[in-house]
Amino acid sequence: MDSNEPMLLLSSRIGQIGDLGLDLLWRFLHIVVSLFHIVSGIFEAIQSYAISLGLIQKYSSVDIEKLRCLAVVLDIEVARDVAKVVELLQWLKTIGVKQVGLFDSQGLLKKSKDMILEMVPGSTLLQETGEKDISPDRKEGIAIEFISSSDNKEAVVKAANILLKRHLKTSHPEKDEGNNVFTESHLNEALRVVGENVHVPDLMLVYGPVRSHLGFPAWRLRYTEIVHMGSLKYMRYGSLLKAIHKFTGVRQNYGV
Amino acid sequence: MLSLLCCFMSLLSFLIHSCLRPWTQAKKSLKDEKEIDEGTYVAGEEETPKGLLREQMPRHVAVIMDGNRRWAERAGLLTSQGHEAGAKRLIEFAELCFKLGIETVSAFAFSTENWGRHKIEVNCLMSLFQRYLKSKIQFFQSEEIRVSVIGNLEKIPESLLGTIKETEEATKRYKKKHLILAIDYSGRFDILHACKSIVKKSQQGLIREEDVDQTLFERELLTKCTEFPSPDLLIRTSGEQRISNFLLWQLAYTELFFSPVLWPDFDKDRVIEALVSYQRRERRFGCRI
Repeated sequence: MDSNEPMLLLSSRIGQIGDLGLDLLWRFLHIVVSLFHIVSGIFEAIQSYAISLGLIQKYSSVDIEKLRCLAVVLDIEVARDVAKVVELLQWLKTIGVKQVGLFDSQGLLKKSKDMILEMVPGSTLLQETGEKDISPDRKEGIAIEFISSSDNKEAVVKAANILLKRHLKTSHPEKDEGNNVFTESHLNEALRVVGENVHVPDLMLVYGPVRSHLGFPAWRLRYTEIVHMGSLKYMRYGSLLKAIHKFTGVRQNYGV
Repeated sequence: MLSLLCCFMSLLSFLIHSCLRPWTQAKKSLKDEKEIDEGTYVAGEEETPKGLLREQMPRHVAVIMDGNRRWAERAGLLTSQGHEAGAKRLIEFAELCFKLGIETVSAFAFSTENWGRHKIEVNCLMSLFQRYLKSKIQFFQSEEIRVSVIGNLEKIPESLLGTIKETEEATKRYKKKHLILAIDYSGRFDILHACKSIVKKSQQGLIREEDVDQTLFERELLTKCTEFPSPDLLIRTSGEQRISNFLLWQLAYTELFFSPVLWPDFDKDRVIEALVSYQRRERRFGCRI
């Protein structure tokens, strides 16, 4: 028994040294990873500023024609910072975006729409218009649509009610299962009747801490590219341009 | 490239820590066998990995399994082999999710738009679904996994339809684990289907026009087969960042996790990465906290 004690003590000491070593290794790894994230964050910031200054050739010309409709989703806390929202819209106008749907779930931006339209030169409120209605004045400007959660499920339910009423008015509603009334184009039409825009955004930028579209009108989201941009407070022009540029390079198969 | 490197570094640190943990735990257990490491919950089925909290697991995880064809191309295999690998990965994914305490898993197996693919590929997929469902009925029963299939189902072969009904019937009594397969599914079709269902019920006198609201509408969607129709987390693999007509109505406040990894390569570590990312986020469901 006594002869085992030094061995046990040695084993215990080795174990303690081993624990310390592992602990140091783990902490060292944390430092390495943290440094890596810091460096990559700094690199991204520098790249963003370089893009803003037009130093990176790749981003100096963006094929904006491919982006017919842009959606911007703002977290409710972020949407309160109207000055930042206006700045974002001005940047989008500079890039050449023609149509923007601004969404926040509670409709805060809807309430401030007059002020926002006033503060963004050349901006107009997007109405439900066809392409031919675009006036020459709007060519240089930006059309803004203000959207909230009430334009999502509530609107679809209202549209469904319209279709239901229409169906019940047909001469033999009991024979017709609704296949002639409930098609995608009928629902589109009914959504327009309740005042909704049915244009499908090509790209959605999400600003805020959450990676979710926060209740943006579901009917319109079929093939929309979704990009999380992070905080609106620390938004960068370069990051915005980079996201749009990346979108223009995306190739969709649409399931085929 | 940078984001890939960041992912790699985070994964590497996680892996090393996972490897070191058993060794350090073994050392601790020599002193006190009953000691429980903080942050780890021995749940009975699968020990919750470090960094994850059992009580913050999503109840419903949805997945868009993208990348089978590209995976097969990169591996020098046939497209059908890519889809086989994808099917195998789905079963592993679902198994892992259930072991971690996630109750519902939805998978986008075949979209309405996929009918536009080459006929041979479509036939291969239909055959794969049938083979897999048939061969896994016993597995679903032994694991007590309820299987539901949602979608249009009008165009799918009769034989597959029969297998689907057989599988659903054989597993309908299980409550705790639910695997939902979306075959010939379209989010827009789901919404229109709900409209038609409301019309039928209205004709039968079961509902009145004024009863039609969001709650009633949601009960008519194809996801009415589950208690939790809205996923807490949606994972899409292969780097594409869109919903592609999957669960449009149901995804309003779902956390979106886009992974650059191709679906057949989306292994346990990737799943845990997605869940860790989910648990770190602050969900507000559109309200102010």
